[in-house]
Amino acid sequence: MSSTVLDGIVLEFLQHRLMVSAASRSADHVPSVARGIGYQLERDGCRLAVFLCRTHAEQLLADVRATGLVAVVFSEPHTHRSLQLKGSDARVGPLQQRERAWLPVYADTVVEELTPLGYPETVIRTLVEADPAQVLAIRFTPDSAFAQTPGPRAGAPLGGSRP
Amino acid sequence: MSGVRPPPPRRGKPRAATHGVEAPAAAPPLDAIRACLEGVIPSLVATCGADGMPNLTYVSQVHYVDRRHVALSFQFFNKTRANILVNPRASVFVIDPGTAGRYVLHVRYLRTEAQGPLFERMKAYLSGIASHSGMAGVFKLQGADVYEVLGIEHLQGAELPVPPQRCELLAAVRNVGARLAHATDLATVLDDALAVLATELGIAHSMVLLIDRNRDRLFTVASRGYPTSGVGSEIVLGDGVIGVAAREGTAIRIAHATSEYAYSRIIRERAQREGLTPDTEIPLPGLAAPGSQLAVPLTVGGSTVGVLFVESPAEARFSWEDEDALTTIAVQLATTIALLQVTERSGDAAEGEPAADATPATDAQVPRGAPVAVRHYAADNSVFIGDEYLIKGVAGAIFRKLVRDYVERGRTDFSNRELRLDGSIRLPDITDNLEARLILLVRRLQEKNAAVRIEKTGRGRFHLTVQRPLKLVEST
Repeated sequence: MSSTVLDGIVLEFLQHRLMVSAASRSADHVPSVARGIGYQLERDGCRLAVFLCRTHAEQLLADVRATGLVAVVFSEPHTHRSLQLKGSDARVGPLQQRERAWLPVYADTVVEELTPLGYPETVIRTLVEADPAQVLAIRFTPDSAFAQTPGPRAGAPLGGSRP
Repeated sequence: MSGVRPPPPRRGKPRAATHGVEAPAAAPPLDAIRACLEGVIPSLVATCGADGMPNLTYVSQVHYVDRRHVALSFQFFNKTRANILVNPRASVFVIDPGTAGRYVLHVRYLRTEAQGPLFERMKAYLSGIASHSGMAGVFKLQGADVYEVLGIEHLQGAELPVPPQRCELLAAVRNVGARLAHATDLATVLDDALAVLATELGIAHSMVLLIDRNRDRLFTVASRGYPTSGVGSEIVLGDGVIGVAAREGTAIRIAHATSEYAYSRIIRERAQREGLTPDTEIPLPGLAAPGSQLAVPLTVGGSTVGVLFVESPAEARFSWEDEDALTTIAVQLATTIALLQVTERSGDAAEGEPAADATPATDAQVPRGAPVAVRHYAADNSVFIGDEYLIKGVAGAIFRKLVRDYVERGRTDFSNRELRLDGSIRLPDITDNLEARLILLVRRLQEKNAAVRIEKTGRGRFHLTVQRPLKLVEST
């Protein structure tokens, strides 16, 4: 099965050093939000896994479990290029061994991206490092993609153009 | 991981207490997380559409409005905007840039302000953020979206130690206040206020400007930390951080250099647009490359009478804490200025009638040498001594009267009261700033090393010291 959303442009962008954050909502349409501490493309090439520390994301994880809805923003700080992917089949689950092993690699990537912008490394590491036992994954199939780079086109459906 | 301590106790209300519930009567502790609201680490706002789909976006600025409200910068018509118009509930994720503490603000959209003090504060601050992050011209404020804060959730997790509180600020405010409380005349209080900002708060570059309501301009009456004082230089109401602070009656703070608010550009463009003559413009004494600026209105009796302005070559030099301190100092400075003007005026009354014609000058007092031309242009009351531009506006009209009385009647002693009564000067109204204009005149004459000086001889009285014969030339 191939994804129409995870096309070449999106897949290329996801290779960059990106910050990741996620939102969902409750049954009564109150939004929830959390910052992720990593992400990976699933081996099937159709689904994405976003990693979050459960203590930072209690409400978000509860909302995703209840509704299956998720909106995830990927952003490249030094260019402000941003992309939002949404899905409605999201599930919450534990990390696989290879995903767990990848978390410190992602943390180093974020440090490399953010320290040249003036953020202290101690602050960045405090934000992206977590006890692996506390980390959960939201796995979903993106069914829509939106450009989110600041500018008049922010929010427009991607439709084959660069984010 | 080094430098990380266990999470502090949760300070925010638990989610269960705020989720979907009306605002509690007590104000949420928004003051405790103001470090998160300086735009250092971008914030995120989650909303939910009519179709039930969540949406997430970065927001450049979550602005502290008051203890119960924040305003989000609305820059583009996007999904967030569409969503809050149908479902006003939003969740805002903010991070403390010092501790890495994470907070979620549970908020409800109330309204959008597209003009006025809040809008201008955010517009100026955003301009600095945009410039700092390479987004000048892209980040442009369309409106300030005001949200009520329903609850604040402090997320559990590792955090860095809380940086030490800036406890010096309150002591500094107290010491500045004490100095102002002992001031007895306007000229001293202006200089003292700026001196004490330097010693107490380490603010090296500062100025005080007062408003000329007749001309919608501010004029500099005192400055500190610049190669030239720039006393008498003018800013049009609404121009740059000072002009906007004065027009809107609100503090304007910029944490990063931005050409949008640079006086070098604003003044040049206005001069080109309005064809101003540079020879009657006194250069504004600002830093050529300011990193941070803060302009605080001087407000008394409900109206803005001037601006206290500070700047620094360093970026992010002034935090919200400095803004709070300077705003408090500005209240006392404005009150002191107003009070001293009233005191000077009560001195007028005590002096009774205008000073009589001068007693004949003794031979030793008669100035010698070639006469100096004092040229007065009626159109804008600009005055030149020889070829040197001195001043214009009301201060120019005052100087013309003094020189005319001196040349025609030999008078050297004057009172503030007679200036108020003189029809040729046309002082605006009760808030005429006469004393401030006299200070301006005194300082300009000193700086120009002019052959004429003004010296205060008592409350509401002054003396004209003339070193060379004068000739008054009227031009149109």
